[in-house]
Amino acid sequence: MKKYQHSIRFKKFSDRKSKRNEKRRSRFKGYLIRKNIERVEDQKRNPKSKRVTKNRYSNLEFSYTNVTAPTVFSFKKNPEEVIIFISKLKELFDKQKRAFVSLRYVEEVDYDAIVVLLSILIRFKSKKIKFNGDFPINRDANSRLARSGFFTSLLEEFYKDSDKYKVVENTIWTHAEKKVDAPLGGKLIEQASEVIWNDKKRCPGLQRVLLEAMLNTNNHAEIGKEGEKHWWLSMNTDKKNKKTYFSFVDYGVGVFTSLNNKPADNKFFGWFEKLINKKPFNNNAELLELILDGELHASVTGKSYRGKGLPGIKEAFDRNQISNLFIITNNVYANIAKKEYRLLENKFSGTFLCWELDEQNQNF
Amino acid sequence: MDKKIISVANDFSKTPGPRYIKEGDFSGELFRSKILEPEYLNAVKENKKLEVNLDGTVGYATSFLEEAFGGLARIYSAEKVLAILTIISTEEEYYKDEVTQYINEANEES
Repeated sequence: MKKYQHSIRFKKFSDRKSKRNEKRRSRFKGYLIRKNIERVEDQKRNPKSKRVTKNRYSNLEFSYTNVTAPTVFSFKKNPEEVIIFISKLKELFDKQKRAFVSLRYVEEVDYDAIVVLLSILIRFKSKKIKFNGDFPINRDANSRLARSGFFTSLLEEFYKDSDKYKVVENTIWTHAEKKVDAPLGGKLIEQASEVIWNDKKRCPGLQRVLLEAMLNTNNHAEIGKEGEKHWWLSMNTDKKNKKTYFSFVDYGVGVFTSLNNKPADNKFFGWFEKLINKKPFNNNAELLELILDGELHASVTGKSYRGKGLPGIKEAFDRNQISNLFIITNNVYANIAKKEYRLLENKFSGTFLCWELDEQNQNF
Repeated sequence: MDKKIISVANDFSKTPGPRYIKEGDFSGELFRSKILEPEYLNAVKENKKLEVNLDGTVGYATSFLEEAFGGLARIYSAEKVLAILTIISTEEEYYKDEVTQYINEANEES
C-alpha cells in the first residue's frame, strides 16, 4: 500500500467519499421507490447491464393484481367508487392475493380516505400478503398521503399480526384496536383541543362518540362474536382552520346485516314487525334515520331512549358536541347535518363514520 | 343525613371506559365492583347518603353508566339505590337523567 494512503488527509478524503457514495445510493434507492422502478436483475448476475430497470407494473404484472384508486378519493364525497375500491381489495385479501394499489391518478385525497388506505395496507401486511402501490402525481394529494405515514408504512415489509396498531406521523394519528380504548380518546381530545383552542380541554360529547363507535365495533361487527374485528381511527389536525377531522371505520358486517341476524334471546330479535307497525319505513336509508333518532329502540323496548350506540353519536351531534357527521354502512349514506339519507348502489361491508371538531363545539 | 362522596375522576379514572372488564380498561363493571358497590354498602350500613360526582372526566360511554348504576340497581333494587344515591353532574346535566333512567329500567335488558 502506498504511503500516502496511511495519511490522515487521505483517510478524511476517503471517509467523505464513502459518505457521498452512501448518500448517492440512498437517493437513488428513494428515486426507484418514488418512480416505481426496480432493478430486475442483479448486477452480479448480469455484469454487462449496469442499470437494468423495468417498470414495476410490467414486472409485477403476473404476481400483483392492480387496483386503481378513485380520482376523488373521499368516502363522503365519492362513496360509490370508494366502496368498489374497498370491495376489490377485500376480495384480494380474502383470497390472500397480492395487491398493487395504483394511486397515480388520484387528484384529491380526503382525510377520511387515509384511514381506509392505512387500514387496508396494514391488514394485508399483517397477514403477510404482499401489498404495494404507487403515488399520486398530483402534488397536494401526494403531500397529504405522505403526511399520513402511508408511504412509510408501504415500505414496511410486514406488520406483526396484532390486536393494536399505531401509525403516527406529523399531524395525522391513526390507531387500530379491538377493545375499547378510553385513554386513547382522552389523549386525542387533548391534542385536538391544543390545535383548536390552544389549551388542553375536555370534550365529553366527543369522547362519547369515540367510545360508542368503538363499542359498536366490539359488540356488533361480527355476528355472534364480540371483540373480533378491529376498529380504525384516524385523527387529522388542521391548525390553520382550527379544526380536527376524525374518521372511523370497521370492516364488520355493518348495521343492517347485524340487525337482521340477532339471535332469539336478543332484545332486537323480531325488531322488524315491532317497528314497521309503529314507524313505517320503505328502505334502509329511512331505517337508519329511525335508528339514529332512537325510534328503533323505543319501538322494540317500549321505552324512551337515552344515548346508546349510534343514537348516542347522533345526540352528540345534536348537542353541538361534534360537527359535520357522516355515516356510511351497508347500502346507506347519511349526511346528518343536511339530513340527507340515501341508498347506495354498492354495498359497504362495515361501518364508516367521520366528523369534525371545531371552535364552536362544546368543551370544558 | 350525612353523606359519603365518590368522584369518578379522582377515585377511579379520568377516562372511564366500556361496560365490561373484557371490553377494555376502566369499565363500568370494574367501577361498580371496586368502588360503587362497597361504598353503597357502607352508606347503607352507616345510614348515610352516597353522592357520586360525575364531573371532571373526559366523558362517559352510556354502557359504562348503565353497567355501574343500572348494575347496582339489578343487585339491590331500583328503589333502594335511588333512596341512597345522589348523582352530581354540573358539566353534562343529561348524565343525571340517563343514570336515573338506567336505574329505573335496571331489570330490563340493557
